[in-house]
Formats: sequence, C-alpha cells, structure tokens
Amino acid sequence: MIVYLSKRLFMVVIVIIVTSVVAFLLVHLSGDPAAAMAGEGATQADIEAVRATYGFDRPLPVQYFDWAGRVLAGDLGRSTYLRADVTEVLARHIPVTATLGICALGFALALSIPLGVLAALRPNTIIDRFSLWLAVAGQALPSFLFALGLMYLFGVYLRVLPISGSDTWWHFVMPSIALGYYATPEIMRLTRSGMLDVMQSDHVRTARAYGLAPWRVVVRHGLRHAIIPVVSLAAVQLGFMLGGSIVIETIFSLNGIGNLAWESIQRSDIAVIQAILLIIAAAYAVLTLLADLFNAALDPRIRIS
Amino acid sequence: MSILRTMLAGGILAIAAASAHAGKENDTFVWATSTEMDTPDMYYGNQREALINTYAMCDGLLHRDPITNEFQALLATSWEWTDDTTLELELREGVKFHDGTDFDASDVAYTLNHVAAPDSDMKIRVIVDWIDNVEAVDTHKVRINAKRPTPAALQYLTGTSPIYPEGHYEDAPVVPGADGTERRDWGAVMPVCTGPYKLADYVAGESLTLVANPDYFEGSPKGKPSIGTIVYRTIKDPETQIAELVTGGIDWMWGVPPENAEMLSTMGNLTVVSAPTMRMSFLSLDAAGRTGDTPMTDLRVRQAIAHAINRQAIVDNLVGEGSEVQKSICAPVQFGCDTDVRQYDYDPEKAKALLAEAGYPDGLTIPFYAYRDRAYSEAVLNDLRAVGIRGDMQFLQWRALRPKLANDEVEIAHLTFGSNGILDVSASTSYYFTGGPDDYARDEEVIAWLQEADRTTNEEERKALYSKALNKIADQAYYIPLFMYGRTYAFNKDLDYPVTPDEMAHFYLARWK
Repeated sequence: MIVYLSKRLFMVVIVIIVTSVVAFLLVHLSGDPAAAMAGEGATQADIEAVRATYGFDRPLPVQYFDWAGRVLAGDLGRSTYLRADVTEVLARHIPVTATLGICALGFALALSIPLGVLAALRPNTIIDRFSLWLAVAGQALPSFLFALGLMYLFGVYLRVLPISGSDTWWHFVMPSIALGYYATPEIMRLTRSGMLDVMQSDHVRTARAYGLAPWRVVVRHGLRHAIIPVVSLAAVQLGFMLGGSIVIETIFSLNGIGNLAWESIQRSDIAVIQAILLIIAAAYAVLTLLADLFNAALDPRIRIS
Repeated sequence: MSILRTMLAGGILAIAAASAHAGKENDTFVWATSTEMDTPDMYYGNQREALINTYAMCDGLLHRDPITNEFQALLATSWEWTDDTTLELELREGVKFHDGTDFDASDVAYTLNHVAAPDSDMKIRVIVDWIDNVEAVDTHKVRINAKRPTPAALQYLTGTSPIYPEGHYEDAPVVPGADGTERRDWGAVMPVCTGPYKLADYVAGESLTLVANPDYFEGSPKGKPSIGTIVYRTIKDPETQIAELVTGGIDWMWGVPPENAEMLSTMGNLTVVSAPTMRMSFLSLDAAGRTGDTPMTDLRVRQAIAHAINRQAIVDNLVGEGSEVQKSICAPVQFGCDTDVRQYDYDPEKAKALLAEAGYPDGLTIPFYAYRDRAYSEAVLNDLRAVGIRGDMQFLQWRALRPKLANDEVEIAHLTFGSNGILDVSASTSYYFTGGPDDYARDEEVIAWLQEADRTTNEEERKALYSKALNKIADQAYYIPLFMYGRTYAFNKDLDYPVTPDEMAHFYLARWK
C-alpha cells in the first residue's frame, strides 16, 4: 500500500512539473506577456516598463526557476492583474467551483443511476427508450444552449431562480443542472450496461433463489457490483467539472476556478495560471486515487498493489 | 494549514456575501459590464470601468463638462499659464477627503509628483509624462512645472488625474519583484478621494460599491449625489446581462448586441439609446516599407484598398446603431480632429483599375492581421477579395500581434484604438504618426507637424498643424479610416441619466425619475 501510494505521489509530482513547464512556455510563446499586461492603449515605452518591472526581459529558464523556487518555499506568488496574493485569489474562487462541481455531480448521480438501473431492469421498454433519449439529448445539446434555456425558463420567464452570481445556494441550482446534465448520459449508460451484466450473473440468480426481496437483490447484489466502474467515471467527471466548467461559470457569472483560469491566460497572469494547474493536476490525481480506494472497498477482489 | 484556513474563510465569505438589489425602491443602482476590473485606481488601471468609478468617487483639479466639453473648476478654482511650461492653480478651500482629512496643496503636489516619477509604474504614462514637478506654493495654490509646452495639459488634469491625500501610497504592499528584489504594488491601495461618492467595497474582478457622500462640497460642477448606492458588477456574458436587466437584477448595461437592441427597446421597463464612441477602427498599411519589399509602399495600392471597402455598408449592416463612417484618423470629438480631408468613395472598379495601374492586374495575396471583432475584419476582407486583394487572415490575440507590429512584420493590419479616453488629437493621430513603433508611414513631414502641434499652446496654430498632418495622411492613404464604434446602452426607465458621446458613463449625474 505504501509503495503504491509512493508511486502515485511520484507520478503526481512528475505530472505537475511537466504541465507547469508546458504552460509556462505556452504563455510566453503565444505572445508578449508584457503587451498583454500593459493593455491595448499602451505605448511601446509603457510595455518596456512593464517588461522590466515584472522581469519578463530575463531568460525563460531564469523566470521559471524564480517562480518554482518561490513555490517550493510555500509562496504561490502574486496576481499581477488582481493585485492580490494568489492564495487569497484562490481562496475566493475555489469554494465556488467546488460547490458547483459537487452539486453538479450530485445532480448527475441522482438522475443517472436510478434511470440506469430502471433501464437495465426493464430493457427495451419505454423506460429504457426514455433513458436512451435522455442520454442522447445530454450529449447532443451544447452546454451553453442548455444553460441559456434554463436561464430563460427559470430566471426570466418563471422568475423563480436567480440568474447570476454565487451569493446563495439558490444561485447554484441552474449552473449545477447545466453542468451535471452533460455528465449524466455516460454515467447512466455505464450503470445500465453494468446492471444488465450483473443481473444475469450466478450470484444474483442465487440471491433470487434464496427468496430475497427484489429491491435487496437489485441494490445489494446488483448495484453494488455494477457501480464499480461508475465510481471511477464519477471521479474523472468531478475532475472535469472542477477544471472545465469555464462555459457554465461564464454564463452564470460565477467567479470560479474555470473562469479565473481562462481570464488569467488572456491577461498572462502567470502565477495564477501555474497555481491553478497545480491544483487541477493534484485534484485529478487525488480523485482517481480515492476512486481506486473506494473500488477496493466495494469489491474485495480488487487489491491495491 | 494557513493556506487552507484562508481558503475556507474566503469560501464562507463568497457564499455568504449579501446580494445587491437593484432599482429605485432600494435606491441602489446596479450596472454591469463584461470587464474584470484590475484596480479602481485610475493611475494603475486603464479600463473604462475604473474611469467611470473614478469620476464618481474622485475629483481632479478640473472637470470637463460631458455635454459642452468645456473645462470647469473642480478642486482648482482658477488656473493660469504663467509661461509656456508653468501652470499655476488656485485650489478650493473647505474640501474634505472621504477619510475626513482636509484637502490642500500638499495633497496635489504629493499625488502628481508620485505618479509622474519615472519609477511610479503608472500604466498610461502620457497622462503625467509632461509633468516635471509640482510645488505647493501655499496651502491652496500649486505650481506645475512642465517638461515642455503641453497644450493638452488641462485635459490630462481632469477626471483622469484624481487627487489623493498626502502619503496615500505609503500603505502600498511590498511584493516580490524580479530576481529576488522587492517592489511596491501601488495599484493595490484603495483610492481615498473627495468626490460625490465614497468607496464602500471592492472585490477585485467582481464588484465595486459606492455610497453617496453626504458631505460633498457645494458648488461642484458634478452636483450633489442623488442615488444612494451605486454597485458595479462584472457579468461576463452579454446574454446574462440582458437577462438580469430584463428581470431587474441590474439597471444599466452597455454594448447591447445589435440583434438584441430592437427587442429590448420594445420592453416597457427599459430605455435603449445608441451613441458614438471614441474607438476608431482602421487599416494600418506599411507605406514606409518596414516589412521589406511590399505592395503597400505604392500609393495606388493603398488608394485601391481605400476604394475597395464599403464602409457605410459595414456600419449599417454589421456594427449597428451609434457607429458611423470614420473620415479621418482621429475621433471627431477630439480637439484638432479635422474631418474635412480627402475621402475615398466605395468604388470597386476604380480600385481594380488602380491595382492594374500599379502592376497587379490579377490582384495580390498578402497576410492580413487582425485581433478584435473578427466579423468586422471578415467583412473588410470580403470587400478586398472582391477587387482581387486576397488577404490571408492572421487573427491573433493582441499580445501576439503587438510584438509583430513593433518588429516590422505587419504589411496590413485591422486595428482599433480608443485614445485612452483623451479628447485631444495628440492622443490618437500623434500616437500613430510620430515615428514610434506603431508608425508604418514614417513620413518626416507628418512627424514634424505633429510634434510641433503637440508642443504649441496657441489653439489655432495647433489646429492648423494637425489639419496639415491629417490631410497628408489622407492624401497618401497611409492608414485607412473605417468606422467609429458605436455603443448601445440599455437601462432602467426609472433612471434619468445623460448618454454622452465620450464613451463614458457619468453616473454621478444620474437620478431616479
């Protein structure tokens, strides 16, 4: 177990180093960060002043190791745009994205697992067809269109939900549905196929022969096995929601990590970009690790080694 | 652990923050744009949102009336040029800053000397670069010693130069600089001003709240504040802004897309108005041959490009209400902007003939750089293609295009410029045609005329010099003016507020009907 964890942690460190070097190079090679920071109305002299102030005139390796040295000393740096410590900036944005991601995943699981189970228990019936339709719609509908549709219906027409911002829990209802729905089809189809396989297996037949209640057979002997691949998928989906919710955050004006990452790239706010990459890479690694551990707990045949 | 604690505390604050309720009933005016404001200090940020808030919460020495464009006394009660480079100003007495301290000459000297210092890190230095030093002559009189004659000085001393209390920047945090050094982050200090509204709250990139200053001095040309609270919110998506406006979540937005303007104007609770702005859209052509051997050095090719573009159609069909065809390389509201210069009518046949005459009967292929509003650039490209100029679109972000412009790599580019809100041709034409990295004409005569105009205090002489320069730029088709951007504003019909052509929102003048 310790060897396994050590290997995983080593991989996480390698992934973080590689992504940070690549991101650092991309920011510099895709344009002049000094010009981005100085803004459109700046003269060349203004741009040169920015270059000198922030040290962009130094060789790239020097700039990278300057940043890396500070991070190793526990200092994530300062946002040159928002004029605040990166830790402070992240402290405002991470809870918004975390709330959104968890609520969205909760919505996706709450919708897709029951529907997936029902579809598997009644294959080729109207329930199964409805589930299939829902799955196809979720994958086919662009998330921004779905989000705008929700906004129009619940925010503008019915006026029962707030349209933008993150002031209350109500503000997270529409964004969570819009973000979670996109993940629903995959989870539902995976649950359905898993349940179909499991329900025809010997141990389920044996459980039925024992005369156990149908719900007990489905939940304890069916779903418990069928859900193992879903856990891994849900972990990846949560990672995606934490790092890739830019569109939803923009539409609902949520100041989360996705929006912050996008804006920081636009304005070459390098310390913020790098810090977000560190967090997202670490989040992915931790989530997949947790999924592995959870799967092992669900299925004793899986051993962490 | 401390990082974790900070994040947790921040999260709780973010979730628990009270929401602003817009509207007349709550005496709270909420406005929104797509911009994430970097700092409310005008000296260290160059965004319109910072300028709009600065006008509401701060005072400069002078005020430019947004309707008449005349200079009016604000913190200064009178001013006089005692010679070409010395400006003396008498200051208003009995004025207090929002923190309760008295305003006097030492505050003016401190603020302007701080930002004019070479190492002040100020963002748009043109506003203060003319200042050599500022002296407090007595408690209510200052003397500004200019480095050179600066006819646009009064313009620079208006709302773009707010006055802060002496010692204001001493609270600036010390932050890491390059190579293990340290620097002061001056822009992180929250403004303390004398204006009609006080800064109550600021969340970087998200919101800014102002409350009326009940002690604002009598006799200010800005008038006493009427609305109790003004809240600025960043809402990135225009569709979301519209949804909030329609449902009363916000009271004001600008940049309404043309396709939405008509729909909003039919709604009973909204006022929709369009107005021109100071942002010009134009083609930069490499007449000087900075990129090497290029067809752009041939006057006939440049004139062909000018004749090929149907500017009126782009204005009418694409840019929409408030925009207008641009006649000269400057904003019409700017001092010295002569629009009575040579115009190139839309005439594709003439364009083709000029190209043939220049030795390109089959047209030519050329890289075409652009960075903003792709649809407008595509429209220009289509017109050029129709006469045989095949532009190879290179659509880049500004940070990628800017170095190419400075490094002599751009034969033709579709650019825009807003003159940093300065109502003087020295901020537009002189920016592009005085031999700097953005000057792809490099005409010695034009450079000399503009430099002289930028230093001449006599208004008529200045106008004459700018006119000569603008006429030659048009005759030689160095750059091709296309259109002035327009903006469509939509706001709560309960709001009485003047829409002005300076691309500004003077909210200190707003009141509920």
